[in-house]
Amino acid sequence: MRTVLIVEDEWAIADWLEVLLSEYAFNVLVAGNGREALDILHRDTPDLVLTDFMMPFLDGAGLIAAMGQDERLRSIPVVVMTSLLEHVVRDRAGHFRAYLRKPFREADLMKIIGEIFPDEA
Amino acid sequence: MSGDNGRFATGVPGLDAILGGGVFDGGIYIIQGAPGAGKTILGNQICFAQAAQGRNALYITLLAESHARMIGHMRRMTFFDEAAIPDRMSYVGAFKTLEDDGLRGLLDVVRREVRTRKASILVLDGLITVHEKARSELELKKFIHELQTQAAFSNCTMFLLTSAFDADAHPPEHTMVDGLIELQSSLHGRRAERSLQVHKLRGSWFMGGKHAYRITENGHAIYPRIEALLETPSVWDSADGPMVSVGIGGVDKMLGGGVDTHSVTVVLGPSGSGKTTAGLQFLTGGPASEPAMLFGFHENPMSLRIKADSLKLPLKSRGDKVTLMWRPQTEAVLDEVATELLSTIRQNGVRRLVIDGIEGFSKLTDEKERIGSFLSALCNELRALGVTTLATAETDHAGMTPGQPLKGVNQTGLSAVAENIIALHLAALRSENHRLMTILKSRDRRTDMRMRRFEILDGGIVLDANFQSAERILRDISSQGPAPTPSTDLKLTGE
Repeated sequence: MRTVLIVEDEWAIADWLEVLLSEYAFNVLVAGNGREALDILHRDTPDLVLTDFMMPFLDGAGLIAAMGQDERLRSIPVVVMTSLLEHVVRDRAGHFRAYLRKPFREADLMKIIGEIFPDEA
Repeated sequence: MSGDNGRFATGVPGLDAILGGGVFDGGIYIIQGAPGAGKTILGNQICFAQAAQGRNALYITLLAESHARMIGHMRRMTFFDEAAIPDRMSYVGAFKTLEDDGLRGLLDVVRREVRTRKASILVLDGLITVHEKARSELELKKFIHELQTQAAFSNCTMFLLTSAFDADAHPPEHTMVDGLIELQSSLHGRRAERSLQVHKLRGSWFMGGKHAYRITENGHAIYPRIEALLETPSVWDSADGPMVSVGIGGVDKMLGGGVDTHSVTVVLGPSGSGKTTAGLQFLTGGPASEPAMLFGFHENPMSLRIKADSLKLPLKSRGDKVTLMWRPQTEAVLDEVATELLSTIRQNGVRRLVIDGIEGFSKLTDEKERIGSFLSALCNELRALGVTTLATAETDHAGMTPGQPLKGVNQTGLSAVAENIIALHLAALRSENHRLMTILKSRDRRTDMRMRRFEILDGGIVLDANFQSAERILRDISSQGPAPTPSTDLKLTGE
């Protein structure tokens, strides 16, 4: 069973993603911001990080930068989910695997996850 | 940006005039209103206006719509600037923090985010949720107090949005914050009217009472009540200069040479008596280089141009020196219309103005008791702006009372605003309708007040050379018996 870490300050979106991905048989971890996400990443190594961009305490750019400095976390694929335009995010954040423009639908999300984990599709 | 006096303009049209110049740096303000009142739009509008000035704004949501949906809605607004996000305008959610860590956790989020993002504007959307989460009144008071301290130390102005409002209750936070702004909506018949009211503003005068507002793709536009905004005219009146022709030769002579510059003249009469024709003559009666304007509720610009052409009045040749502004009375708001009128006058440097159907203003509001002071403020401002005005006013369509040709012509509400009043009459004599004119009032001037018969020909109104034809008509009306309806009543004051 693969593990997905959801990093999202909007609780309703986080709840929806948690339920949805559980139904797709993922093990789901949830953090309310980048700082909470790093706390989780210190003890767990998920297979995928789905992160919002604008968040309190530590935003998506900060989280991606911190993950990039940690050899254990560097290879974990990151998907940024945000209302911001993709170039705005790419200008401000380091490497991430995919961009998902909010608001998105279930099919959009599952398509990206399917591309990251082709065996699961 | 902030002014020297430690306050800054919100950038929301009309709001800063009501606030006496804006809000204070480091102040904390509540914006409240029922769902749909436009609190979120107002909060975003203030943030983007400040972001456009180079300041950093932060929007924190609790139980509000998702950021994606909010940004999606704001994208349709002209004030929205995609490039401002996320550096100068950012959105963060803090409901989970509030739920898990209580009011203390939320204060931590605010403090940290304001400092990290160097925010000088903060909107906290969902104060009601904080209210509900607080375990006691004391805890809520401590929250507001700490927020005030943060606002002051970080020089960050905070707006707290909430849907809670009970006019009779006095929630503790109301006594603590620096300002309280309420957005309201009320029904007038089937028409909904939005209004904004400032209940409190520490450290500053503010314009009390309710002020109409609209929400369009430009965001909020608030229209201060004209009589409050222009309690005293915006500039000093300098009513000097040559007399102004009303554009009707015979009338100028009856008035002793014309009307005073910067004066207001009202032409009243029933439909079809020639009021709009008089207005068009006044409009085109000045020097060709003089900016002039006709503002009306009834006839659209095309119709007025056709009318002027058929009367052979030189409206077309005046080109852009003449502005025709038409505002149908459908869903218009009184103060919005007056604001647009004054703004156009200032913009175009109008010196000669026709208001065709001044009674139309009273149809734009159910608060008829306002109209007297509204017109007084409007006319005082027109004088102060150096505008000479001719306004038409419609009376009921009725005949003349034999022997009492002025009976029933109600001037109530007009004397206070007009230096000159000219009455037009339709006098039915057997099968023929005659047009008659008389001057009822001319301030401080020797006036020929005898009635004149007139016709509308090429060039407009042409008066008979003397009063004898009018005399004959009035004598014949007296001998033919009473008119069927003896009253002409100008409904300006809404009685």
